[in-house]
Amino acid sequence: MAKEYLVVLFVRNRRVMINGEFMGTTNKKLELERGPYEVTLGPPNNFRPAKQDVELRNTSSLMPMIVEFEEA
Amino acid sequence: MMKYSIRTAYFLLGALLLFTGCAHYILNDQSRTFGPQAGYRFDILDPGPHNSDSLFVCLMFSGGGTRAAALSYGIMEVLRDTVIHVNGEDRRLLDEVDCISSVSGGSFTAAYYGLFRERLFDDFRSQFLEQNIQGALTARLFNPMNWVRLASPDFSRIDLAAEFYDSDIFNAATFDLLQKNGRPFVILNATNLGVDRRFDFTQEHFDALGSRLESYKVSRAVAASSAFPYLLTPISLKNYPLAEGYTPPWWYKDALTPKDWTTERYNAAKNLSVYQDKGNSYIHLMDGGLSDNIGARAILDAIDRGFIRTRINQGAIQQLVLIVVNARTQSEDQLSRNESPPGFFTVAEKTATVAMDNYSHDSVTKLRDALYARVQTQKDAEACTSLLAIHCPKAPKPFPFAADIDPYVMEINFEAASQIPGEDPRYYLDLPTSFKLSKEQVAKLIAIGPKLLKIAPQYQCLLKVLAAEAEGRPRPKECPVGAGIFPQ
Repeated sequence: MAKEYLVVLFVRNRRVMINGEFMGTTNKKLELERGPYEVTLGPPNNFRPAKQDVELRNTSSLMPMIVEFEEA
Repeated sequence: MMKYSIRTAYFLLGALLLFTGCAHYILNDQSRTFGPQAGYRFDILDPGPHNSDSLFVCLMFSGGGTRAAALSYGIMEVLRDTVIHVNGEDRRLLDEVDCISSVSGGSFTAAYYGLFRERLFDDFRSQFLEQNIQGALTARLFNPMNWVRLASPDFSRIDLAAEFYDSDIFNAATFDLLQKNGRPFVILNATNLGVDRRFDFTQEHFDALGSRLESYKVSRAVAASSAFPYLLTPISLKNYPLAEGYTPPWWYKDALTPKDWTTERYNAAKNLSVYQDKGNSYIHLMDGGLSDNIGARAILDAIDRGFIRTRINQGAIQQLVLIVVNARTQSEDQLSRNESPPGFFTVAEKTATVAMDNYSHDSVTKLRDALYARVQTQKDAEACTSLLAIHCPKAPKPFPFAADIDPYVMEINFEAASQIPGEDPRYYLDLPTSFKLSKEQVAKLIAIGPKLLKIAPQYQCLLKVLAAEAEGRPRPKECPVGAGIFPQ
């Protein structure tokens, strides 16, 4: 029930995939349950790293976890 | 003559044994290949031509026999008759319903609408609500032909009930028809007796059973959802090996991390893992009311990690509307007026219902709290942005959500009838939980539902906000975001 907050940064507007599921878009705040997740972006495959494993906890809506992808 | 009689006796005995041995409940089909784009799941259902995700509506129908079925039917009628203006066109609010989660008596209304749509308003009343269902079930029970079948350890009273529902109410329909009809997604809830947890008839649960839901009879799911303890027996399902290529739902990955054992996500993963343990070869299901008598837990799960969560994060939902139709009754408190403590049967009845009623109340509170927390988070971001603009204009602004949501949670219950002139809540609160009510009782239940919905301040706000949006007017002052949960 308690929520954690995640923002995935990328220079372009791109789909954010959480554990393979389309969960929103880059640079927008996502609301998820606490715990581990695999984060990646949708196609095209011009970003790095290919995926990032995060442990989502101890965030707040004003201080979300930030995960950044670079353009490859 | 004697030889003839013995031969006849042997023949009858053989036939009896044959029939007894043959009687077996209908098994669910095995699934050989996993298909994430197949089966009865929300994401692949056709939303329909008049349904927008921006206005996302879910209904919850409680248990309570015909009383619950009639009350929820009345709500379906008022939703059909309510016209709203969305995306430039007039629509019925009923066509915007995206999901219905139901339990026991409420499952009859939910499944009937899911299968037969407008026919609900033509014949559900005469086919089900005004029928003596209990009498029909009892007649089948006392049919000597059925005694032979009931002698089998693999055929019991619930199978007779399911056969009756199948032939006389649901026209032998399977989940395939529900799937073809598209939204609303109908979630029929039962209780797994082996692990004391909620089980819903969706492909996600059937995936974990290695089984195909689309070929399963809807009547058996409704029978499981309404299998009242002691009067009826459990519906059983076979737990097959996982289908080739099976992938659990996205939220399941790494969810069983021991340090997260206090979270709801861990609990949900634990629930699903029960079926992946193939040592549990069969599961036995009874009344959904044993684990959640208002169907709210399936919606809470969808908000936490299901099809509602993904749409909130994608920014697809603007108004999220949850209507709980709770046909709970409450006898007048006579116990507190007596010096003598209550007797055995009263204590037994209280033991069965007190925890359930409190749990139902808690479930609605959780729905309100979850969505109001989101409203407060949105307001925090707005306040922060305003303060930064005044005191620190060059500071970066908080990250926005994809879209802010405007939630509405309303509970329809009989206590609120006290606010309606000429209505006495006691009439409804004293109705029995039964599958046999008089035509007059059914008519009154159908009529009270729309009245209860219309007096709900959250519902009034919803209609005002939708009308203001359609006409390009500002949001009504008396209905700020959040008033759909806690009215001003």
